[in-house]
Amino acid sequence: MTLFELLGLGGKGWGAFLLLATATTLAVTATALAIGAVAGAAIAAAKLSGSVPLRLIGHVYTTVFRGVPELLIIYLIYFGGSSGLTAVGRWLGYDGFLGLPSFAAGALAVGIISGAYQAEVFRGAFHAIPRGELEAAMAIGMPRRLRFRRIIVPQVLRFAIPGLGNVWQLSLKDSALVSVTGLVELMRASQIASGSTRQYFLFYIVGGALYLILTSLSDRVFNTAERRANRSMSASTIGGA
Amino acid sequence: MDFAFLSSTMVTLIRALPTTLVLFSLSILFGGMLALLITAMRVSGIRLLSGFARAYIFVFRGSPLLIQMFLVFYGLGQFGVIRYSFLWPFLREPMVCAVLSLALCTAGYTAEIFRGGIRAVPAKEIEAARSVGMSGFLLVRRIIAPIAFRHALPAYSTEIVLMMKSTALASLVTVWEVTGVAQRLISQTYRTMEVFLCAALIYLVLNFLILQAMNLLEYSLSRHRRPFAPGLRA
Amino acid sequence: MPGETRLSVRNLRKSFGTHEVLKGISMDAQDGDVISVLGASGSGKSTFLRCINLLETPSGGEVWVDGEQIRMLHGRSGSRPASRAQVDHIRSELGMVFQGFNLWSHMTILQNVIEGPVHVLKRPKAECIAEAEELLAKVGIADKRHAYPAHLSGGQQQRAAIARSLAMKPKVMLFDEPTSALDPELVGEVLRVMRALAEEGMTMLVVTHEMSFARNVSNRVVFMRDGIIDSSGAPEDMFGAGASPAFRQFIGHFGNPQ
Repeated sequence: MTLFELLGLGGKGWGAFLLLATATTLAVTATALAIGAVAGAAIAAAKLSGSVPLRLIGHVYTTVFRGVPELLIIYLIYFGGSSGLTAVGRWLGYDGFLGLPSFAAGALAVGIISGAYQAEVFRGAFHAIPRGELEAAMAIGMPRRLRFRRIIVPQVLRFAIPGLGNVWQLSLKDSALVSVTGLVELMRASQIASGSTRQYFLFYIVGGALYLILTSLSDRVFNTAERRANRSMSASTIGGA
Repeated sequence: MDFAFLSSTMVTLIRALPTTLVLFSLSILFGGMLALLITAMRVSGIRLLSGFARAYIFVFRGSPLLIQMFLVFYGLGQFGVIRYSFLWPFLREPMVCAVLSLALCTAGYTAEIFRGGIRAVPAKEIEAARSVGMSGFLLVRRIIAPIAFRHALPAYSTEIVLMMKSTALASLVTVWEVTGVAQRLISQTYRTMEVFLCAALIYLVLNFLILQAMNLLEYSLSRHRRPFAPGLRA
Repeated sequence: MPGETRLSVRNLRKSFGTHEVLKGISMDAQDGDVISVLGASGSGKSTFLRCINLLETPSGGEVWVDGEQIRMLHGRSGSRPASRAQVDHIRSELGMVFQGFNLWSHMTILQNVIEGPVHVLKRPKAECIAEAEELLAKVGIADKRHAYPAHLSGGQQQRAAIARSLAMKPKVMLFDEPTSALDPELVGEVLRVMRALAEEGMTMLVVTHEMSFARNVSNRVVFMRDGIIDSSGAPEDMFGAGASPAFRQFIGHFGNPQ
């Protein structure tokens, strides 16, 4: 088979297979980022709170999930989740083995890891809000919730964009490890294609190139978002508007 | 809590610790050397070299380590040139492949960290060195490198911890380090949580030790920032 | 209504740890009063202002705003307000202008000004915008309403911050060294806005180093020293023969203002 046939979109080509897997990689990463945003916001809130036990929980979470190999965490969620599910099934009267779907397990595992990094991003962003702006909100009589919604959240999101860009890149690469659960994302697809054609070098290069396209495109997206969000901050637009 | 199980798991995992440590130290060593080379190319001012360094950094930072590792492990053997070369007995070894790909990958990240350190060297201090007649390698060795390394140290500590975590991937090319053994134990016993806790503890202790060592290094390199203490001078 | 007490402070005390910053301050502001609070740095004048709207929690004493007392709980572990809702309500009746402007950097000037009326007072947005544009015209920056704070000079930002406070229709305006962070050539534009406010009859409490404002605009001068009120009175008396020795020494550093 020629190179063109191997990578073709139709017939015996692996092109469509790889592109579909690329979409799966994006879907896993996006889901993980969303899970991580929720976890990260909660952990950041815990670490910023006045309560000692909450701060300790936050600290343990970020230390463990940033310090333990990602692969180990994927095993924990995939195998641990499946035995948990099986136990629940048994309790409900079903005796067989219940596996956690690999997409869910992968997105959850990468999401939990991403949450640890996002928590640090959110915490840094919160500290970047000028204290005086929070005081001005208090002084005008804003209740706590309103202050959170109108002053804190918009500013945290703005300051967090570059950090979230880094976390996205990290999660995109971590998602390759989800291949161990059998989910056919880009990494697993490259393995399958290279294994069945014996063209290891070719398909790992193609897989790697697709990852490079994903990372550089997303880099561009985050840069644009950062520029947009910071339009109100730069003095360069004086008189230009 | 089943302490008998926990302790036997711990013993099994610790038997795999030397493998993890070998993977870690070799890849940090070779990766560091390669990173120096790439950094030198990147800041050389020669377009061809800096272009190559830029591409290297882009490729190794932009794609997952696992795919790089599989490329080395499965991809290289495909070529007759390599298969029949004197290197093959080496490159056939999973351990060599794992160290090679870990080192190649960390070199990309580390080169970028070193470059950041170099950019933080104040131009005035380089001028001052030139004014006393330093240039070339002497200037780099005596002035630029020490200052740059001090600036790069915090980011480099983070990279080293990330490398410790990355050694886990070697298990996927059949090197039985701590995470690989943990996975095997999980699939044999189905006691995921206990095995995870033991393995996690090992990594957390390793990270802690690394960070302590790096802090110590940072402290000993920052004498110029501490208040002068006569008599403490070694 | 003139003669009505807008703000009343009784025996206000504040400590940070063992350090007592305010040692019992009492003061009343009637409707239309413009009171300048003077004092060296560290005399507690900013802390005093910040205790009135509870940006700092007083350790003891009473604060009354327009006849309503801020309810406090004084326990062994410290003091705290009895009701957050009451604090928010009182704060909405007190305008505060900060040394560092503290405009919300993610909002345009107009958005800054309507934020309080729309979201705290829950008034119709169109009405708030109309009023905000009037206020911005009054402080002389109507053309900047769609600019972001970072695009304005310090003097313009402070005038915007004054407009933001006025939009809440406050009963008393508190100014915490409003011109101290400004370049000298920008001080005048802010003082002119404050003088116009005073002439309209706004009740104002102004912590300042601007002796000319204290002397020519305010109707009462309060001099603080080491956490107590050293002396107070009409500017003619304070800057004239009736000055206390400490105040005389204090204004000596500034030259004699006109």
